[in-house]
Amino acid sequence: MGARGSGSRGSGSRGSGSRGSGKKKFFFHRRKVCRLCADKISTVDYKDTRFLQQFLVERSKILPRRISGTCAKHQRLVQQGIKRARHVALLPYASE
Amino acid sequence: MREYELMFIIDPRLTDEEIVSLADQYKEMIQSAGGEVHKEESWGKRKLAYQINKLSEGSYMLFHVRSEQGSVFREVEQRLRQNERVLRYMTVRTDAGRLRYRGGSEQEAEESAAAEPATSHAEEKE
Repeated sequence: MGARGSGSRGSGSRGSGSRGSGKKKFFFHRRKVCRLCADKISTVDYKDTRFLQQFLVERSKILPRRISGTCAKHQRLVQQGIKRARHVALLPYASE
Repeated sequence: MREYELMFIIDPRLTDEEIVSLADQYKEMIQSAGGEVHKEESWGKRKLAYQINKLSEGSYMLFHVRSEQGSVFREVEQRLRQNERVLRYMTVRTDAGRLRYRGGSEQEAEESAAAEPATSHAEEKE
């Protein structure tokens, strides 16, 4: 997942090279939409590990908002859910 | 009324009967404190995401509890903490927890919750 983040950054700078007129730096941002807002999710269940795993990187760190695109409100819910799941050993604190 | 979930993980080396009797004990404790265990889930043996007390498996139990106050868990939690066969436990409130973010008051949530069973009751009569 970390690799994915750096990959998108790499493609962004490449886009600036091909597009920019050469005078100004041009950063291409694709607007990320919060997945939970799109699905109208209002609660996050700590038992739903399948869902929560989508917000973990390979080493089971919590995916930052800047990469996942989650809005602040939903990031808090996801964070809460992951931490609860970790406490009852449904998700690891760290893997590898 | 508030809704809670109590999850606890028991040593998987115990026999099924021992686990059931232990769970029943905790259930009774909640009920005598004034809580209602309206649903009980036994997940059986599950692999733990990380080792606890050098164990890599655990027997999961989950209670869905309805109660007026969180104080019903005072005794159970103390017992869970003291029991060495219980690897982990966690109580979580599952109703209207999100209202904090919406700026709504708890009273509103309880009123709407109270209104729902009333309507279903009326339908039954018809």
